[in-house]
Amino acid sequence: MEALVAADLSKTYSGARGRVEALDRVSLSIAPGQLFAFLGRNGAGKTTFIKICSTLLIPTSGHAELFGLDVVERAREVRERIAIVPQEGRPFFHLTPREHVEEYLRVRGASGESARSRADEVLAAMGLRGFANEPAYRLSGGLQQRTLVAMILATEAPFLFLDEPTLGMDPFARRQVWQVIRHATQRGSTVLLTTHYLDEAEQLAQELAVIEGGHILYRGTPEALKSRVHREVRLQFDSGFTVPELRPYGEVFEERGRLTLLTTRSVVPELTRRALERERPIHVGPVTLEEAFLALVGRGIEDEVDPEGGP
Amino acid sequence: MSVRTQANAVLRLCYFNGLTPLWRTPVLIVAVFLTPFCFLFFLYVVAPHPLLPFGIVGGVMFTTLFTGNGMLNDCGYLRLERQLQQVFVASPMRPLSYVLGMALSELAFALPSMALFFAVLEVVTGFGAVAFAALLGVVALTWLMATSLGFMISTFFRQLREIWPIGTVVFSVLSVLPPLFYPIASIPAPWRWVAFFSPSTYAGQLADRAVGLPLPPIPTVPALGSPWVQFGALVTLTVLFGAASLRLARWREP
Ligand SMILES: Nc1ncnc2c1ncn2[C@@H]1O[C@H](COP(=O)(O)OP(=O)(O)O)[C@@H](O)[C@H]1O
Ligand SMILES: [Mg+2]
Repeated sequence: MEALVAADLSKTYSGARGRVEALDRVSLSIAPGQLFAFLGRNGAGKTTFIKICSTLLIPTSGHAELFGLDVVERAREVRERIAIVPQEGRPFFHLTPREHVEEYLRVRGASGESARSRADEVLAAMGLRGFANEPAYRLSGGLQQRTLVAMILATEAPFLFLDEPTLGMDPFARRQVWQVIRHATQRGSTVLLTTHYLDEAEQLAQELAVIEGGHILYRGTPEALKSRVHREVRLQFDSGFTVPELRPYGEVFEERGRLTLLTTRSVVPELTRRALERERPIHVGPVTLEEAFLALVGRGIEDEVDPEGGP
Repeated sequence: MSVRTQANAVLRLCYFNGLTPLWRTPVLIVAVFLTPFCFLFFLYVVAPHPLLPFGIVGGVMFTTLFTGNGMLNDCGYLRLERQLQQVFVASPMRPLSYVLGMALSELAFALPSMALFFAVLEVVTGFGAVAFAALLGVVALTWLMATSLGFMISTFFRQLREIWPIGTVVFSVLSVLPPLFYPIASIPAPWRWVAFFSPSTYAGQLADRAVGLPLPPIPTVPALGSPWVQFGALVTLTVLFGAASLRLARWREP
């Protein structure tokens, strides 16, 4: 049985700006024990999908099942099997990281003793041991976020929803969190994670889906997505070049003033020479998920979705 | 999860959400106590002293009703500002357990202030064990009614900014205008029935009666003066708000 199956899931919000189609007939399945990443720009529909599957939001149409249980009809049973890091969640003001982990485990039915030993383990793994007894209001934003993630990962719930779990963390902390997430899947949890850090998806996910405007554009492994870009190298120019000048060499994308060219190795010396002549920097590197995303969606993942609609 | 685990979850939530802030931020105790105390002080200065017991009972009832305001604000805060309600909804903890745990947390905030008013009341009126038990019963019902109402209102909002003024408006109207701090006899006889539009009046009348304070008739609608009618009304309102908050609780956004 699949851990999560969504079939034709749609969600339309009606708000002040009129109706927003946040999800449009999304179908997706996730196998048990998988670490699955949802990639998409801000406003693509990731949080809406997670909220529906974690029983927090009612879909407009379609349905979703978690371990064979309908998330609307059998919410109570679904809730026994899940835990969620909500997007932009914050911990309790006055509680310490240790209290967050222990108390949440106890609210979910763990004994005092098992909650304590589990808290020791998770706090150490997340690099929170030195701060375990500081009230959350004295912790930096990154540490607060780590506290929240620790509290949820400690549950080892069969299905973990992590909505942008590493937002605002430094690179070192993010790596620690990745380790704990991997560990959770090794112990049998299924993880659905949203992110717009592409390196996070590349490092962590066994499979991923790219979502844009409420549609799934791609679903597969990160490697397969990268291999769809039939190019070997990525060249980036901050200034000194124009789109028409670069277009003959390959695909050009303009993102926040920076030009990215996906091309073949053979043109690197030529373009490098030209950049140096103009005394402009040029960045050379292998094709990453970033370019694959750019090629697939046509825009960078950090580009905000235009609220008025339109591409 | 079994009933026992749910009960345990309620108590844990009350402990870490309601009790720990009390000893980590003791100024909260003073904050809860201060407003009703100021009313009482004011009353003591301007009103004839025989009215003082009404004011003290008013202090007890004010503190109790304001658990509803706390509930409104805290539930709104945890849901909208911290996204923590979601963490409890998407868990084995039942909705009812969450609401009860939050309501008990509000009671924990109010307890020190209530105890103080109870002590002053004992000194001033020398009321006995039966009166004490009756007053506790009224306080318990009022607490349930106020916190249900607070929770219910909080679910209607998407912005914390909108919740703050609403709470102050609703609960000030419920606790300052109706005859809680002053005897209902101060309202001209033909207009007394109007006070019963406020749910808090039933609670206030029952509380005054529990302590043995003199109560005048309600000429226009005499039934409103009956303790059974008042008790029935308070229970009905509590059940109504309670059921509504569990139904409307928006565990899920529509
Ligand atoms: N409660 C809401 N009311 C109206 N529109 C909403 C609401 N929540 C989200 N949206 C809109 O739905 C779209 C998808 O949002 P969301 O699922 O949060 O995207 P993501 O998590 O990928 O950033 C966006 O256009 C967003 O503005
Ligand atoms: Mg989101």
